[in-house]
Amino acid sequence: MARPAHPQAMQPVKPGRTRTAPPTMPPQFPMTGRYRAYTLFDATGFLYLFVGFVALRVVWALGTGSAAWANIQQQLANPLYIGFHVITLAAVCFVAVRFFGLFPKAQPPRIGPLKPPPGPVIVGMLYAAWIGITVLMSAALMGGIS
Amino acid sequence: MSDPPKKTFVITRFDPDVDEVPKTQSYEIAVDPDWKVLDAVNYIKDEVDGTLSHRWSCRMAVCGSCGMMVNGEPRLTCKDSVSQYGDTVEITPLSNFPVIRDLVVEMDGFMDKFKKVKPWIIRAKELAAEDGPVRQSPEELEEFKQFSMCINCMLCYSACPVVSNEPEFLGPAAIALGHRYNVDSRDEGASERNAIFRGEGTVFSCSFANECSEVCPKNVDPAAAVNQAKFNAVIDWATGLVLPSGEKE
Repeated sequence: MARPAHPQAMQPVKPGRTRTAPPTMPPQFPMTGRYRAYTLFDATGFLYLFVGFVALRVVWALGTGSAAWANIQQQLANPLYIGFHVITLAAVCFVAVRFFGLFPKAQPPRIGPLKPPPGPVIVGMLYAAWIGITVLMSAALMGGIS
Repeated sequence: MSDPPKKTFVITRFDPDVDEVPKTQSYEIAVDPDWKVLDAVNYIKDEVDGTLSHRWSCRMAVCGSCGMMVNGEPRLTCKDSVSQYGDTVEITPLSNFPVIRDLVVEMDGFMDKFKKVKPWIIRAKELAAEDGPVRQSPEELEEFKQFSMCINCMLCYSACPVVSNEPEFLGPAAIALGHRYNVDSRDEGASERNAIFRGEGTVFSCSFANECSEVCPKNVDPAAAVNQAKFNAVIDWATGLVLPSGEKE
């Protein structure tokens, strides 16, 4: 049985004379069919929230001193932390791929005289930027760029 | 010759004079493999149970009347063959809409949202008939043509999770219609509509689930319209900050 929607969903401004049954949500929402990908897409926000806390903790340790820095590095080597970051990486990739797929159609047909490039070109540019930035950051983290 | 296959149709029933809440009723009927789902519902209405209420008209995916939930998905029942479903087909009224009776939903809320987006060409100054028609190139037509193919079947509203939770949200078809006029080269009312898009029922409520476009039987892609409308509404707002009123058009 579908869950109830907001009781005012799609209600007319002036109620009709007939008593109506209240609206229900789409029965597949939120975790069945295509809604699953959408729900997971939005749910990845929780992972980014936790990653934000971890980042703040790392920055705090960096500013506290070498002992705290060594301690946080040791903690980040814990398999639980590594697992969490692997899951977050998978979530980021999932969100990026879904976002890149939807992004071209969010472009207006034109801004003044300017028209956006065709959808496949936009998607190609997004992937090229993603790969380029990933390569640059990896090189910087591995000491290739000083 | 073998007997035609039988299918069971589990249909939601609701009589506002009798029922507190909707209930289901099953009908097992022999179906012709060439039938559309609507043909089966019409058969039940005509031959099995005359009390069943549903909307339909053209039977050719033009009028947009026969939208229903079929096995949990918003579908235009004149477009779907019964053969694409299994032995049991569950038919319920469109989600997110109040139900008047059986498979008939309340449409007035939908029409109210349509009126809000001013779905007509707005001109700063009406041209006289002797000025001739306002010309439009094929390229200009192409910018909005897709969005003018909507048949108001309401499937997009039925699929949208935001419509379920935010009664003020203008919704996919209404925003697509408003956007269709905003990008029409003959129209000069984009600022008026963009103010509506930023106001109550804002386009920014859309979370880009993309379900409206997935279920659209005419490939209108309302999700594209809504998200393009977001972009234009922001540009219009930013332009309004730097340009005196009236110089944006």
